[in-house]
Amino acid sequence: MGKSSKDKRDLYYRKAKEQGYRARSAFKLLQLNEQFHFLDDPNLKRVVDLCAAPGSWSQVLSRKLFTEDPDKENTKDKKIIAVDLQPMSPIDNVITLQADITHPKTLAKILELFGNEKADFVCSDGAPDVTGLHDLDEYVQQQLIMSALQLTTCILKTGGTFIAKIFRGRDIDLLYSQLGFLFKRVICAKPRSSRGTSLEAFIVCMDYSPPKNWFPELDVNKSVTEFFEGCMVTKDESSNDILPAWVEEDRVIAEFMSCGGLDSYDSDATYHIDDDLSSNIAKISLDPVQMPTNPPYKKALELKRSGKLTRAI
Amino acid sequence: MKEISHHGPGLCVKFYDEFVYAGYGPYIEQYNYKSGELINRCRVFRKNKVHGISISSNGYILAYGARSAAVCSLSDISDNVSILQEERLLAEWITCGEFSADGNKVFLLTCYNKVIISDIIGTIIGVKTIKGERSILYSGSIKPFSDELVYISAGTVMGGVLVWNLYEESIVHNLKGHEGSIFYSTISDNGKYLASCSDDRSIRLWDLKTGAELTIGWGHTARIWNLKFFQDDRKIISVSEDCTCRVWDIIVDEDGKSVLLQQSNIYEVHQIKNVWGVDVNSDHMIAVTSGNDGRLKITDLIQTSRTGKETGSFSIQKIQDELDIPFEKGEIIKGFQWFSFGLIAVTSFGKILKYGDVNKKWTLELEDKRFSSFVIVSGISSKNIAIFMNNKADILLLRFDAVGNLQLSSDYNIKGLKKSTNCLVSIFDRKSIILLLESPNPRDRLIFLKIDNYNLDILQEFRFNRPDNFVTTCMEAFEDYILLGSRFSTIGIFNLKGSDVDPYLIRKLTPGDTITSVSFVEIEKKLPIFSVTNRDGYFNFITIDLKRSSCKRVHFSVLHSNKVSKGFLEGAYIDDKNQYITYGFKSSLFYMYNETNCYEIMSEPCGGAHRQWNLFPDGRGFVLVYIKASDLHYRKIREPRFPAVLKNGLHGREIRDISILKSQPYKNGYLFCTASEDTTVRLSHFDQDTGDITNYWLQRKHVSGLQRCKFINHHLMISCSAREELFLWDIDQDSSSRPYISTRATLPTSSDIPDLRIMDFDVKFLLNSDSFLLATVYSDSVIKVWSFDEATNKFALLIEGRYETCCLLNVKLESVAKQLYLITTPTDGHVVVYNITDYIPYELADNFQFLLENFNECKTLPLPNYITKFLVHQSGIKTFCTDSESLPRTIKIFTGGDDNAIAMNILKVDADSLGIISSSSSFIEDAASSTITSISLFDKNRKLMMTSVDQLVKVWDVTGDDLVPIDKRYTTIADTGSLDVVTLEDSSTLSLIGGVGISLWKLAF
Repeated sequence: MGKSSKDKRDLYYRKAKEQGYRARSAFKLLQLNEQFHFLDDPNLKRVVDLCAAPGSWSQVLSRKLFTEDPDKENTKDKKIIAVDLQPMSPIDNVITLQADITHPKTLAKILELFGNEKADFVCSDGAPDVTGLHDLDEYVQQQLIMSALQLTTCILKTGGTFIAKIFRGRDIDLLYSQLGFLFKRVICAKPRSSRGTSLEAFIVCMDYSPPKNWFPELDVNKSVTEFFEGCMVTKDESSNDILPAWVEEDRVIAEFMSCGGLDSYDSDATYHIDDDLSSNIAKISLDPVQMPTNPPYKKALELKRSGKLTRAI
Repeated sequence: MKEISHHGPGLCVKFYDEFVYAGYGPYIEQYNYKSGELINRCRVFRKNKVHGISISSNGYILAYGARSAAVCSLSDISDNVSILQEERLLAEWITCGEFSADGNKVFLLTCYNKVIISDIIGTIIGVKTIKGERSILYSGSIKPFSDELVYISAGTVMGGVLVWNLYEESIVHNLKGHEGSIFYSTISDNGKYLASCSDDRSIRLWDLKTGAELTIGWGHTARIWNLKFFQDDRKIISVSEDCTCRVWDIIVDEDGKSVLLQQSNIYEVHQIKNVWGVDVNSDHMIAVTSGNDGRLKITDLIQTSRTGKETGSFSIQKIQDELDIPFEKGEIIKGFQWFSFGLIAVTSFGKILKYGDVNKKWTLELEDKRFSSFVIVSGISSKNIAIFMNNKADILLLRFDAVGNLQLSSDYNIKGLKKSTNCLVSIFDRKSIILLLESPNPRDRLIFLKIDNYNLDILQEFRFNRPDNFVTTCMEAFEDYILLGSRFSTIGIFNLKGSDVDPYLIRKLTPGDTITSVSFVEIEKKLPIFSVTNRDGYFNFITIDLKRSSCKRVHFSVLHSNKVSKGFLEGAYIDDKNQYITYGFKSSLFYMYNETNCYEIMSEPCGGAHRQWNLFPDGRGFVLVYIKASDLHYRKIREPRFPAVLKNGLHGREIRDISILKSQPYKNGYLFCTASEDTTVRLSHFDQDTGDITNYWLQRKHVSGLQRCKFINHHLMISCSAREELFLWDIDQDSSSRPYISTRATLPTSSDIPDLRIMDFDVKFLLNSDSFLLATVYSDSVIKVWSFDEATNKFALLIEGRYETCCLLNVKLESVAKQLYLITTPTDGHVVVYNITDYIPYELADNFQFLLENFNECKTLPLPNYITKFLVHQSGIKTFCTDSESLPRTIKIFTGGDDNAIAMNILKVDADSLGIISSSSSFIEDAASSTITSISLFDKNRKLMMTSVDQLVKVWDVTGDDLVPIDKRYTTIADTGSLDVVTLEDSSTLSLIGGVGISLWKLAF
């Protein structure tokens, strides 16, 4: 697919380029906000963007919290921290940290930046590389959410909001059930900018209220399960003497909510350049805002291009 | 509801004794790899898939996958349908499991680099880990060298391999060099090496003692998933996303200082995409692999040397030295023919040489200067006849006995050709062969010689006019007819018994050029069927009514049309297992391919474009002879010693739609089609009792990922996909050997560079006809209605219009009260109804099921406004079905959405206005915890079956005002996306459920 044909197929891709977002996923956060208005709260001061690279969500946060706030006085005590293992190019009003979200040092750094105050809002649009083994991919994604959640429980204020990308596969109801121990309301939200053909959706966890008597503590030697011990009803309770027998685990179906309104662009549709909806879009093709990063298989690609991987045997 | 069979990704395989144990979904399947027989299928987990298997020296087997693990004896696996009582569930993902050296303990490595040690019955003995390292692992392995010394190699997501000592809980090495996640790492039995692979597509070999990187192996073109040392740690086998398995030799130089990983063989073993599991039996030198396509494949690693030396190469110098006679300067081999006794070859100076396959010696048979410089060699290997022809129409025939002694020679000069440049031969009948001589001059006639295959006498000569643009490329004799393949995709039929001097011609059979083979396959309804291959990759099965044909008209029909996946196609045949085998070239590589089951049988690098080669039948196998860089090579292709596959797969990627041909059973089951993300459509069969699947054809006409496929009557099927592709297929079931499938028509596209997706379609037939009305919906919100005419095989556009701008996902044509409604569901969650009754040149028959022509003018009209639309779901309606039969003047609409909900809406047709009123509805908002992908009515539309991405299959009773759940089962098919249902004569119901794999279910309520 050429550049222009992708533009036609995917309006959000094109709109992202026009509006200077680093990725089309910016619209997912915008549409989630259209539904839940978490970024429109004037009291929103401290926000954390986990797994932030390349940074489109941070861009949205920056615009919402700073650029679009008419009260410039109010923006003084606002702070956005974006964390990722990968380096990120700078974004106005965003403090970027290249760090591991599972490490206690990262937690300490965030709290230090916030002046030991807790965050109002934590989000994560992170996803691991997909292998094609559906059960493994879904598990790794859930572990990523749990890792983000570990850090979140240490930095989020009671009553705060956490949102994260999920894949709605076979064990998603297990995750909903676990999140129910930490938040008063858990909703599965699907923005219109997220393709209908994709398993992707977002959990919107509102009103953080951890169990009393449970005090989260990040420790590099603790597993996710150990971290949440005493907080969630986990299957591991039986005994430490034998491998636990199989049990049917608690599963909950979260409320589903479509976001973005039916009048917003449809990410599954093919638009024509002369469609009224897209008439404001210039007919020239734009270059991508953020060039693709170096993939790990760069050398293999070079060898292939130079004909070194052709089949001779 | 009961699952009868399951076909899907195989994640791991293991050789043990004379068996292969395969982790296949939640089952372990045990096969005898010598006979190919399935010994048993044992369910080991409830929901999880078996990702790995380990077998202890004392007869226990450990299965693990996701968070589940189970240990039992090998006989438990052989004797039971299930060992679910042994399933344990851990808190974390199990990356690897292994028995201790003495077999009494089990080690389970979790994805957080923790090892749980237990005894055989699951009592935990200890938990080991290393401090400060807890990033998630994609891979890892456990190497128990002894009861005291166990190494763990853990592949991190950050490019490092952590090697640690289990009992000391200490890090031995942190091997750094790879980029990206480590997908596998393994330690050799001798403790010398560690091999690893990662997202960077390289294999790295490390010195386990020093931790030094010894060498890097490049070759795979996609991610590598698994590695295994074999043959005393001198070789490594790797499997990859690129569908290949590769063998690497570990080459250590003499002083032992430098080590090389040299790729020694590549095998294409699975279909797009991913090979997950591999094991090698070093005693027999066979590999077993399992892939996402559900295939379990056996690969012979010593294919060319298993029964002695099966290849040979000779330079002209070598032959000359051996013969000890002088060759002329520049004398080369010009042609050859293989026989059971060996090879007959001719040089450019007319020396006819013989190579004895038994004594491995070259001899000079005779010398004939007439056959210098220009000579064509052909022959009939089974009759031991070799034929030589020069460009002056001299022919020399030699007949040998079974051991290669020359018995008879005769030569002729054929008059009437200015020059002869082509000579083809074929068996004619029991006693004779037929020889074709062709001149480069188009005005020269084509000459056929019927020759006695014992005394080599010319029995009869036939001369035919040569048609325009006819250049013969291949020949087949059938009864009294000769069929010649030509360039320009033309076939000429020559009736030797008739009086015609002109052949009958079939022109432009395929878009390709040169026909490379025409071969008789079988008789169907008293007519012969021929397989026709084209060098450009097309192949057809055609039936010809030879007796009714004449030079004016050939009565033939195309039963089957298809194309190979890549490369040039030189020929094909049906083997003794009723499988279609093709052969040809992929650039410099000669290949033989099992087209029925889609795997490569063998390949051989044969040199560039001007290669000289031939494939000769030899006993129950073949011999490939070719000249590469002026050296003569032969390679024998033997029948495989071990079964090539233990289980056949279906698709390597998601099955997007399934359609069962329900109108009639086929061989104790039904034919069905699957449309896959891998851009292919398959025609297969399932056995209704065993659930076994037989593959027939893989159709490659689509070039984009499929959306839908559906049988629209007892022999027509439609498939559609992106790039605006929609094809009408015709299925022929008259042959007892196999069904055939051919493209009958292609829907016109809206532009030359189509980029729209056709999301769905529906049809309404004309009474007693193959003509029908077709509705199509597109990703740009366009709705089109077409008429298909069975006589012309053409589509005509009747209605065109657009709903809004959002993508349309489904469409149905429903008729009530003599009105025809088009119902569509966009991504905006609405159900939209159009009344198109007055916009089509048809009216409804009395039973509403069919259309009648009303002979109105046929022209394209704009789509009218919808008569109603109503919001049912929050977002896209993924699937829907309708029922207008049970109640008069109502349409029941069942919908399943991305919002986890299903709904039933009953629409009433107002008697006066013919408008539609929604009269009642039932909405279940939490029908599943994820997207509902497919629903289907069954049991006389009293029940509804539903699948969702959370891998649930549910059945609802839909007879009342509300949807009532009846049954719910978990399916192990991931990305559950499609289903179809058929009710049998005994009123039991069978259902196929597709996703990544397919399973057959039996339903009885």
